[in-house]
Order: sequence, then C-alpha cells, then structure tokens
Amino acid sequence: MTEITTPALLKVESLKTTGISNPVNLTVLSGQVWMISGSSGTGKSQSLKALADLIVHEGQVTLNGVSQQMIRPENWRSQVMYFSTETAWWCDSIGEHFNKIPDESQLNSIGLFTSILQKNPDECSSGEKQRLALLRGLERSPKVLLLDEITANLDTEAAVKIEQLLQNYLLENSLDDSRQCAIIWVSHDEAQRERMAPIEQQLIFKSASKSSLEERLT
Amino acid sequence: MISISYWDLLMLSSLVFLLGGLLWVNGFSKVKELWWATFRMVVQLLFMGIWLSWVFNADNPIWVAMIGVVMLFAAGYEISKRQQYRFKKMHSLLIGLLSLSFIALILLVGVLVFIIQPDPWYQPQYLIPLLGMLLGNSMTAIGLGLDTLTRSAKQLKGKVEAQLALGKTAKESMRFIKEQSLHSALIPVINMLVAAGIISLPGMMTGQILAGADPVEAVKYQIMIMLLIATSTGLGTLMAIELASRRLFDHRQRLQLDQLIKTRKF
Repeated sequence: MTEITTPALLKVESLKTTGISNPVNLTVLSGQVWMISGSSGTGKSQSLKALADLIVHEGQVTLNGVSQQMIRPENWRSQVMYFSTETAWWCDSIGEHFNKIPDESQLNSIGLFTSILQKNPDECSSGEKQRLALLRGLERSPKVLLLDEITANLDTEAAVKIEQLLQNYLLENSLDDSRQCAIIWVSHDEAQRERMAPIEQQLIFKSASKSSLEERLT
Repeated sequence: MISISYWDLLMLSSLVFLLGGLLWVNGFSKVKELWWATFRMVVQLLFMGIWLSWVFNADNPIWVAMIGVVMLFAAGYEISKRQQYRFKKMHSLLIGLLSLSFIALILLVGVLVFIIQPDPWYQPQYLIPLLGMLLGNSMTAIGLGLDTLTRSAKQLKGKVEAQLALGKTAKESMRFIKEQSLHSALIPVINMLVAAGIISLPGMMTGQILAGADPVEAVKYQIMIMLLIATSTGLGTLMAIELASRRLFDHRQRLQLDQLIKTRKF
C-alpha cells in the first residue's frame, strides 16, 4: 500500500496496561470505524480505558499528532471519549446530566420520548440508559468514540438504532478537515461488527498464551 | 466550690459495678469492657488532673506546647482509626493532623491573643481546655467526613469515572461525593447548636456554673466556644475533604483507589 496521505486521527503505539495481554498498535483515520472482539480477559475494556487515559498505562497515544500527555486530561477525555457497558448516573433526574437538554427529534430517533428526562435514572431500563449515555457524550462532540459493548443490553432493533445514530454522527463529523471523527467499538455481536466495519478494520484480541503476535487481522 | 472526696467517688463507682452485674444477668456480654473502660476513664482523668495542676504551676510554655502536641496526635490518631478505608503510608493520619492543627491552632491563638487576652496568652488554664474542646469536636467531624468521602469514592467509583470519561475535571467529578461528606460531617454540629441551651446544658458552661461563676458570664464563654467549634469543625472538614479528594487522583486526574486499604476493624 502507498503511504497514507491523510494524517492519522488517533495513533496508538505499544499500548500496555495491566490486563492487556499483547501491546496494542493501531492507526485510526478520520471517518473510520474499528470493531474489536476477543474472549474476555484479553484487555479490550482496559485498552479503551487506557486510550481515554482513565487508567495508568504505557506506550504512545497521539491525537492529530499531539501526544496524550501534552493535553490536559479533561480536554483529552472530552475528545477521546470512553463509553462504558454499565452506564452511571449521579444526579436525581436524567435531564440534569445534559449540558443542553436533547430535543424531541433526537430522542425519538433512538426510540425515546422527552418524558424520560424527568425520570430518575433508577427507573430507566439499562437499554434506555445506554442510549441516553450515548447522547450525553455526543453533545460534547468527541472526536474518537471508544465504545465498550454499549449495545450488550439492547435487542437488535434498538442496537440498529444506535448504530444509525453513530453512523450519522460519524458522517456529519468527518465530512471535511475541520471536523473529524472515528469510532473504536468493542462488540461481541458478529453481525454488528460486519455491519459497522470492513474486515480489515476488525480486530481480534488474543490471550498472550495462544499467540504473541499482533492483533491485527490484515 | 464544694469539694468531692475520693471516698464519694469510690461509692459512686460501685454504681457502675452493680450496673455491670445487672447487664450481665440480662445477657449483655461486654460487661468486662464496660468495667475496663470505666477504670481507664478514672485513671486517665486522675492522671490528667495531676499533670495539669503541675503544668499550671510550672508556668512554662514548653510544657503547655507539649500537652498541645500530645492532644493533637491523639486526635489525629483517632481520626485515622475511625476510617473504614485508610490511605496507604499514614496519609490518613497526616491529612487528619494537618486539617486539625491548621484550623484549630489558628483559631485558638487568635481567640487567646485578641479576645480572652490572658497574661501570658498561653496561660494553660485557658489554652488547654479550649484546645481540648476544639480538637474533640473537629476530630469527630473530620473523621466522619473522611470516612464518608473514601467510602463513597470506593462504592460510587462508576459515577466518578463516568464523569471523568465525559471530560469533567477530578474536582467536578468528586463534587457530589464532597457534598455528601460535608453533610454527614456537619449535621452533628448543627444539631449540637440547635440543642444548646434547650435540650442540653453544654459541659463547659455547667462546669463554670458549678464552680460558682455567674451564669450570664458562663453563657458568654459557652457562646464563644460554640462559635469556635462551628468554625473549626467546618473549616477543618473542608480542608480534610479537599486534601483527601486530591490524593485520590494522580497527576493525570485518574482515580487511584488502590491507595485505600480496608481496615480490619470494620
């Protein structure tokens, strides 16, 4: 292949942390979706958390060529944003977690209604909370989305709605150079991986005992 | 003031002895602990009495300072002992000591120098009881505040990390936990203020009245002490919570809960 002309949005070199069996190397371009799978215990979640700088790790991570350690942690995390499997809510009502209250059409597009904003998070299903957590993150316009099995609690119909929401976000934000976006998604759903990414952008994490090779499938 | 004889005290102590027997018959298993605690109280107070009357007569600031330091360390130790989760490497003790001493000492010196104005200002008769009351109350509040903070950080880790992941600072992400901690630390102080004079006659005032002081004067002292206690517990708790919640994060604002060790007692 010829040299990449567009610079990488996110570049990961020998990323290591506790729980990762093999160091991670990855070059993500704007507009790309990378899907990650692999048996449990191979450090998929840990890798995503390390990319968001939520846990102590080794290796180089750069965003548009700027090293993670050169950017203030809160700025880095609002650009390289981690979305967890289990969502967490710290205020009494859903609406309070948003900077700008999402409008009706946004909510309807993922199968929710405005009445949910007044609800207490404990009253919502985990599927609903998962979709709301996604909206809550996207309103902060992250450039790299790190999705950790975010549709694990949803049925296929709801999962597809989430996928569409993410595809739209990706399209809107990778049209030109001023806006950039990419997705790294850990998913156990094979059909979902195939819907979201071409085969060369699907990674499998392996445990260290089986293979010490790179996880790249290419 | 009417003096009580040691004989009177011995007679009274038979009350606790009898109480122990009665409790034991009713299935209370900690009778030995009750007796031991009572015995300790008697010995500690007798010792304190002898020690204080010696210091009062010696009129040497070094001795006063030494008593102050011993009281401070004892209070700091009590704070770290009351934590379900302790920081590694004695950091709980350090945080406790720092927030106790910083606020309580500044207030104490300020009040002695500018308000009560005994001569010399470090006169132990004023300094030691005042310090004792400030430390005793701050100690309880700081202990409670720190315990709530570390316990909530451990239990509500997900809620803190979710906020960090959204790009909030460590300070913003800890805000809801800090609020809870301040709340649990300061509610007892507010209750104390509310009860003062209606439900409870505070100890210092009672002591002064027993010693023959004019109740109106005694009340003024008590009001001063209450104001000092409210200020020192509030500021001390704020400081302890701030120091502790900073310690929970590293330089990249990552939550570092492995610094907390569970103490055996709980």
